[in-house]
Amino acid sequence: MAGDCSIRALWILNNLDAVVFSRRFPAVEKRWRAACQSENESSENDSVKYTVFSSLPSDSELAAAFSDRKTREGSVRGFGIRVSQSKEGSDSWVDDPITRHIAGFYINREEEGEDNLLWPLALHIKGPYCILILPLVEPRHVKAYTRVWAFMVAHAIGDIITGDVADPEVIVSQSPSVGGLLDSLTGSIGITGISRAKPVAAPVASSVPSGAAAIGALASDIPKSGSRLLDKDALRSFISSSMPFGTPLDLSYSNIFSIKANGFSSLDIPPQDLKQPAWKPYLYKGKQRLLFTIHETLHAAMYDRDEIADSLSVSGQINCRAELEGLPDVSFPLTGVGTSKIETLSFHPCAQVPERNVYKQALVFSPPLGNFVLMRYQATCSLGPPVKGFYQLSMVSEDEGAFLFKLRLMEGYKSPLTMEFCNLTMPFPRRILSLDGTPSIGTVSNAEHSVEWKIITSGRGLSGKSIEATFPGTVRFAPWQSQRSTSFRSVLEGTTDDDSDNEPENANNMVNIEEFLVEKMNKDLPPVDLEEPFNWLAYNYAKASFKIVGASISGVSIDPKSVSIYPTIKVPVELSSQVTSGDYILWNTLGKCPSAVNAEV
Amino acid sequence: MAEKPPPKPVSPRDWESLTEDFRHGGARREKWSCLYPSLAELALSSILKKEFPFKIPLVIFLDEFSHLLFPSNSISSLLDRLIEDLRTTVQSPIDGAHVNYALKEQMMVSTTSILISTNSVETVEVRCTAALVELLLAVINRPNHGPDRHARAIACECLRELEKAYPCLLSGIAGHLWSLCQSERTHASQSYILLLTTVIYSIVSRKLSISILNAAVPLIPFNFPQWILGPEKEGSGIGIGLNYKELRRAMAFLLEWPRVLTPCGMMVFMRMIMPLAVALDLQPSMLKVQFFGMINSFHPVLCHVVLIMYSQFSEAFNEKEKEIVRRLLFVSLEMQQYLVFRLLSVHWLMGFLNRFMEHGVEMEKKSIIKMGFMFYPHLFDPLSLKAIKLDLLAFCSICMDALKAQSGSDMIVGEGKSVVKLFQDGLISVSAFKWLPHWSTETTVAFRTLHKLLIGSPHSEADPSATNKLMESAFYSHLKGMLIDMILEFQRLVPVIVAFVDRLLGCQKHHWLGERLLQTMDENLHPRVVIDYRIVSYFLIFDRIAENQTIPPRKLLGLLTKFMAFLVEKHGPDTCGKSWSHGTKVLGICRTMLTHHQSSRLFLGISRLLAFTCLYFPDLEVRDHARSYLRMLICVPGLKLRGMLNLGEQLLGVSPSSHSESFFSMQSPQQYQDPKKSRNISLYIHLERMIPLLVKQSWSLSLLPLGIGNKSKSFGGIRDSEASIDERELDASIPLRITSGDERVDKPWVPLYVMDSKVSEILEVLRRHFSCIPDFRHMAGIRIKIPCNLRFDSESFNHVRGGESPKSRLHGVEALPALYATVLKFSSPAPYGSIQSCHIPFLLGQPPMSDYIHDETASLDIDATYVGSGEEEAYKAPVAIEFEPREPTPGLVDVFIETYVEDGQIICGKLQSIKVGIEDLFLKAITPPDIPEDALPDYYLDVFNALWDACSSTSNTGREAFILKGGKGAAAINGTRSVKLLDIPADALVHATEHYLAPFIVSVTGEHLVDMVKYGGIVRDIVWKEEAFGLLLDANTSASELNRMPLQLTFTENEDERGSELAIGKRSMGCIDILIFLPPMFHILLQMQVSDVSTLVQIRTDHWPCLAYIDEYLEALFLT
Repeated sequence: MAGDCSIRALWILNNLDAVVFSRRFPAVEKRWRAACQSENESSENDSVKYTVFSSLPSDSELAAAFSDRKTREGSVRGFGIRVSQSKEGSDSWVDDPITRHIAGFYINREEEGEDNLLWPLALHIKGPYCILILPLVEPRHVKAYTRVWAFMVAHAIGDIITGDVADPEVIVSQSPSVGGLLDSLTGSIGITGISRAKPVAAPVASSVPSGAAAIGALASDIPKSGSRLLDKDALRSFISSSMPFGTPLDLSYSNIFSIKANGFSSLDIPPQDLKQPAWKPYLYKGKQRLLFTIHETLHAAMYDRDEIADSLSVSGQINCRAELEGLPDVSFPLTGVGTSKIETLSFHPCAQVPERNVYKQALVFSPPLGNFVLMRYQATCSLGPPVKGFYQLSMVSEDEGAFLFKLRLMEGYKSPLTMEFCNLTMPFPRRILSLDGTPSIGTVSNAEHSVEWKIITSGRGLSGKSIEATFPGTVRFAPWQSQRSTSFRSVLEGTTDDDSDNEPENANNMVNIEEFLVEKMNKDLPPVDLEEPFNWLAYNYAKASFKIVGASISGVSIDPKSVSIYPTIKVPVELSSQVTSGDYILWNTLGKCPSAVNAEV
Repeated sequence: MAEKPPPKPVSPRDWESLTEDFRHGGARREKWSCLYPSLAELALSSILKKEFPFKIPLVIFLDEFSHLLFPSNSISSLLDRLIEDLRTTVQSPIDGAHVNYALKEQMMVSTTSILISTNSVETVEVRCTAALVELLLAVINRPNHGPDRHARAIACECLRELEKAYPCLLSGIAGHLWSLCQSERTHASQSYILLLTTVIYSIVSRKLSISILNAAVPLIPFNFPQWILGPEKEGSGIGIGLNYKELRRAMAFLLEWPRVLTPCGMMVFMRMIMPLAVALDLQPSMLKVQFFGMINSFHPVLCHVVLIMYSQFSEAFNEKEKEIVRRLLFVSLEMQQYLVFRLLSVHWLMGFLNRFMEHGVEMEKKSIIKMGFMFYPHLFDPLSLKAIKLDLLAFCSICMDALKAQSGSDMIVGEGKSVVKLFQDGLISVSAFKWLPHWSTETTVAFRTLHKLLIGSPHSEADPSATNKLMESAFYSHLKGMLIDMILEFQRLVPVIVAFVDRLLGCQKHHWLGERLLQTMDENLHPRVVIDYRIVSYFLIFDRIAENQTIPPRKLLGLLTKFMAFLVEKHGPDTCGKSWSHGTKVLGICRTMLTHHQSSRLFLGISRLLAFTCLYFPDLEVRDHARSYLRMLICVPGLKLRGMLNLGEQLLGVSPSSHSESFFSMQSPQQYQDPKKSRNISLYIHLERMIPLLVKQSWSLSLLPLGIGNKSKSFGGIRDSEASIDERELDASIPLRITSGDERVDKPWVPLYVMDSKVSEILEVLRRHFSCIPDFRHMAGIRIKIPCNLRFDSESFNHVRGGESPKSRLHGVEALPALYATVLKFSSPAPYGSIQSCHIPFLLGQPPMSDYIHDETASLDIDATYVGSGEEEAYKAPVAIEFEPREPTPGLVDVFIETYVEDGQIICGKLQSIKVGIEDLFLKAITPPDIPEDALPDYYLDVFNALWDACSSTSNTGREAFILKGGKGAAAINGTRSVKLLDIPADALVHATEHYLAPFIVSVTGEHLVDMVKYGGIVRDIVWKEEAFGLLLDANTSASELNRMPLQLTFTENEDERGSELAIGKRSMGCIDILIFLPPMFHILLQMQVSDVSTLVQIRTDHWPCLAYIDEYLEALFLT
């Protein structure tokens, strides 16, 4: 049926592979069966006959299929790409990383004799829970999928965009329907955190019932999950409101829970000449003001090499909280967007984006309730790197390494940019026995597998000047011992290791001890998940973490004076900025390092 | 299963566990089945209870399991009850505790869902549905009303769901809905808008001619429309044609409000609006203006909506392609975005580009595709994103190649960068794969990309011609070079590269590509590989090369031979293990070759390698294996060999059924054997003498039934007296004294004689002669070999062993059954000592006569083996039965066979016995080693004469004991004589003698006879005597005379005597002396006195029992 984007069922499993929650939508199921029937009728001449699995599995069947798949694919998510242990017909055989998010289950029913494919299942893992969503797609897509793997061609998604084939991805867009809303909850908590300095009366935010918070905590916070049970009532009521018949209508949990908890009173009068948007069930009442926070995360790969350029990239977002009465439009010109090197810009659905030249015109938006992300962007850093310099580590013997840091902090950063703190961490896969050396500034401590150098401790912010920090030292490691867990390795390789024949020769051929060690270490390296950018363990690096407040470093800014509101009203506009470090990596200049070629966008 | 039904649930806790049981399914659900109708009733009454906290879950439970809880027999009453419950709930005032909006909403939703899923319109009367619709309409008919606004929204959704289930259900009241929609201004307006849109959508799709402005029909009471109930649901009777004007107005109204919709609402809305726009002929550009801005949203659903719009109205959106591509690129870059959407955006982009390549504007293609090259993986992109971005790069480069081919111009992408360069740049992001272990994810991603690149984009169904183009592309040449370099530089990657090739080989479509790569490797690798221990890393590749029939094995064999030489050279105390392991691996590759290639193709190279290994390799096990491979290579024809070496894998071109259980894979020696099949074994397996016996029937059969092995004690009884005497004599050492050295010292039994010089001369000759005869009691005796052939008949073999139908598909030699590892065991009741068993590694069945006459050996793999032998020889295995006779007597050798057939079954049983005739025991006399060769004839003659004399009844040597070789035993001569007259002409006799007895002739006497025999040229190196007196022998000649016969007898005497006494032949021609040694230590002496028409044979022997056999033999020889 055209225009259908519904869910047939959803399941939530815990980390013991047991279904803790499930919900089926019989009305959708009825449509599915009708579609299957017409599909089977229409495909009578089809040489390839499949009967799609036309009924839903019970929880126990699903749980069994889930653990089957886990075994088959190696983990809950699976390998995603075809590896040596992939079996034909498994998701990883399809060889598409998306299969880590769209899974196929084989439901084994004795009375039906054969395994039935249940596909596609949007798979979302949050905390200890695994959320599976079975969307309604056209039966022929399921068949196509079956056919695809039969032909061993790795088309998982196929021509997604081509017109009528557009169903599968709809689902995926809904997959965070439960998890995603929780994610955005944490997002908004973050914003509240920023504006905490100035106490905000947040009547709406506080109206979010405790049930929602409970769920949020549940799914996003792993340590707590053990002690708490899944709040099924909250979940049930969320589902009933957000997708009463399996078709999602509104996935904003805060809206839904405010509605559930507060209801409406006859005092809630809708605006006279406007329709109140579905995403804004309540209108704000009270003291009006407008808050903006520019939050930027700085990712950097510092090589200090001639052949590889350092790379710095900023992913930023403007968070907003508009405590404005009625349904006003807010607009402001994005300053700095034209001059700074913004690579991408995207907006909250409430924003009206001018069709031409987003960068020159004012942004108009009609703010929803509460905290929201108004805009996201990727940019290059208009200032230099806040932590600049090099890290060198060289193994002087098999168990001892000499290192040297030479850093400049906040070079070229002027007030009001303030670095609140700055730490540097050197992780080592080997156990550290002892550490020698004194930094020119700050304190050093070491844990079993890492050395931490606190250069600037919080409370002593660095502002208006730049400082130099050096740290020479040596680190001694516990004697090398192969940590390979053979079971793990042999599972992965499927074969026994017969490289041993070559070892002595390799050792002789090694140029130096460094290479020899690298070689040795590599033998123990397990493969990483596809969610990782590379195998961190394979490299020596130091990771900087810091926080800079005072302004954005991309140059994006909002001039509070130029913010205008329609219908016109004068409200105070507050702006704050913070820059935190994401992956800010200083690669060992003397070792191997990963790199990538940057294309001009 | 519960025998008694579980108690009915009462408390909320009961209901909760029941709900759990239902969800869990299986037996836990099954136990409730007997309660199904009453369960629903119970639940429905519980819902109305005041104090019942489990209401909402219970309602959901009824909804989810309505197909079970509402059985068709009681559905009507249950549904009535349900509607009643709903009405009660909806109409009861909110009390905050027991009746709240949540319950009301859930009741509405679930009731709707239950009615839809139980298909109540058809199963019950429409009244239920009509009642529900009416109830819901009453709820929504209060726009902008305060507290219940969300309930109204939910009621709208319920109505929408009903409208979806029964299209056009609400079309009659569309006018009312529209006005409700216009007036609703709360957040519930989305639901009103969607409801109206759905109603319009079904009107348009069912082509109902109905006025949607008309509000004449009252909203309540609701009349169930006829078009739902009527047999034709396609709007018959309502009119023809849509009311376009009104509908367009409604559309214009609907399009005013997109901003109030949530993203999900927008999705639902757009899915209906797009077909409406098409049906109502709206300008797609209108939609574009209205909605294209959504592409800038970071909400993935909205992006997706735009993409769907594009796919529907791509013409309207041209010039927007770049923007779409750019936007999708941005989504993939946004680090804040969930990974799954970043992945999806690349997926979408690939789909988009693919579509664009097919339908897009030609001019634009290049620039759009070029944008794809902006998708380099970033350093911190997760590997899955890197992987999919690399896919995109590969896809774009393939598109570029295709475009290049179309335009014909040499196209350079980007700023002076070649496609290859661009791709290399892309791969840098996972370049750690070169030094990370081969199981690292980076490696997998890199090789996956190479694979994608080689086979073309995963998203395009590339036609074969495009694939062929790829072969010529710069990419391919770059890639293969890259692979070769990687193999040489990073040996740890070899397993991955092999897996990569395997993946290509495993695919039907790309098999050839894999083969091409292997060929390239074969060509380029061998010259560049350094021969040292590290070569082992390449063995995986070598194995694949060895497997591939398209690659001549010569180069690889050469390399392996060199490596073996290297191993031999480097072998030392430190490298023992290495030599063994590497040598074994090399042999493993050899095995792979043997199993995959035609033997003839390999023969030279591999036999050299194996032979070298057999001879020089330091490790015993490797040598052993090499030897057995070599033997198999030589003995077993190709296909069978491949079958034998096969470790269970499928082989190309080998019928799986015939080799499914190969030698190695079968469970070790199956004890199972089919007695029925083994019983008649001699019907089809034959062991036959190569040289047929002259004596056709053997009376020694009478010796057969006697026990074997303990004959020395069991003589007598059944045996005829002759034989037993013979045996006793032997054992009692009357004629043959065999004593130990001590005994001899104790009992010096040899008497002293007075002898003349002649006698002493004779004795000397005899002593010398006997001293050369080995004493079988103390050392290896003299062995007799009877050459035989083992063969078996394919046809009857297959017949007996039961339909070997799969073989019928094979031709020639391949179709023939074979025996493996055959062991022939022999035993004999005759005193032949122990007979060594015989091993035949492999034997092919003899094809039916008609078959192999034209097939011959044409299809045999190993031509070399059969060169020079007749075609029949191919199906025979030569077997020599070797035994040490204790006594010269004919007998039977029983043959037992134990062999394997192809399916691993053991066949064993008895074959036809082999007859041993007396002639098999004929040997030339043993000569002392110090006799020069030219003196041999004289020596033989001397021995003949001496024995002739000794065997005469009056011999003086009778009491002499002759020490045998080894000095421990001695023999005495106890001679016997006999004569036989052969009534055949001289030339026939000479001919037969030459043919059968030539080696034993020691002299020929008589001019005429000498001429005759010498002329024949067969008999050589004997003593020729032309003297006539040699023919004077006669049967009655005294022993002494006989002894001196050559010297004493005169021609005339003999002539007279012969003429008078024997009255045979007119003219004596001469005499042939024949000396036959019968192992273990006996002799037969024949003197044939030849005359024209008959011959008199004088026979003497020192073993009288053999006379009877000799008699028979002579008859067979000369008279038949």
